[in-house]
Amino acid sequence: MPAATSVKLVIPSEIRLVDMVHEVSQILAEMAGFTPDDALNVGLAVREAVINAILHGNKKESSRKVSIQLDVEQAGGIEIKIRDQGEGFDPGSNPDPTDDAHVLNSSGRGILMIRAFVDDVGFRFKKGRGTEVTLVKRIPHGAG
Amino acid sequence: MKVSIRKQGDVSVVDLSGKITIGEGDVVLRDKVSELLELREKKILLNLEKVSYMDSAGIGELVACYKRAKERDGIVKLLKPSGKVYDLLQLTKLEEVFETYKDESEALGSF
Repeated sequence: MPAATSVKLVIPSEIRLVDMVHEVSQILAEMAGFTPDDALNVGLAVREAVINAILHGNKKESSRKVSIQLDVEQAGGIEIKIRDQGEGFDPGSNPDPTDDAHVLNSSGRGILMIRAFVDDVGFRFKKGRGTEVTLVKRIPHGAG
Repeated sequence: MKVSIRKQGDVSVVDLSGKITIGEGDVVLRDKVSELLELREKKILLNLEKVSYMDSAGIGELVACYKRAKERDGIVKLLKPSGKVYDLLQLTKLEEVFETYKDESEALGSF
């Protein structure tokens, strides 16, 4: 069983840094004992949450930071908190992008992907105090 | 992401490799498909065999390419989306929008 490990990243709101955060998350998930495919899923979920934080939370204002706290749980899993410094928005309020009316939209699929790739997703937001997204993925029983 | 274009009869086959993600692959995809549409190429086959994954921006760009081609009486079809890319097309229900093929000659014959 891997030891509990915590990593915190704090980045300016720049899209070019998304790849780096994705990589770190994916590597940490592999170290936590996830299969390569599940580790990629963790990386993709974090990627989408960070993109949301930069674009919709911090409105691409570079001076506003996004923090990413990654905690490998000793019980077998990973928890990631992504916080922005924006005005606070409800990331879960988007229309269902798989509805016929929205399936050809050019955006709005990030939350759908996050929900598909991790086990639990939580949102906390308060007007003027940013948004926090919590992602949890557990190692399936018997794996690793 | 790497991209190259080859002509098979009147179909433009766009061979993509790498990942189609925000700020990189999505821009390359947009530019290449726009270039083809500017040249009045209307039959476009995106070969996704060597695309490892896409993010929501990449998927959004795929949809944008489909819509831009349609506006110009063109069509974008997909070839060999594998693994994660196919999962994403299913998840987003875009496999019901795009004509998708596993075999290139079958895809070419479908235009």
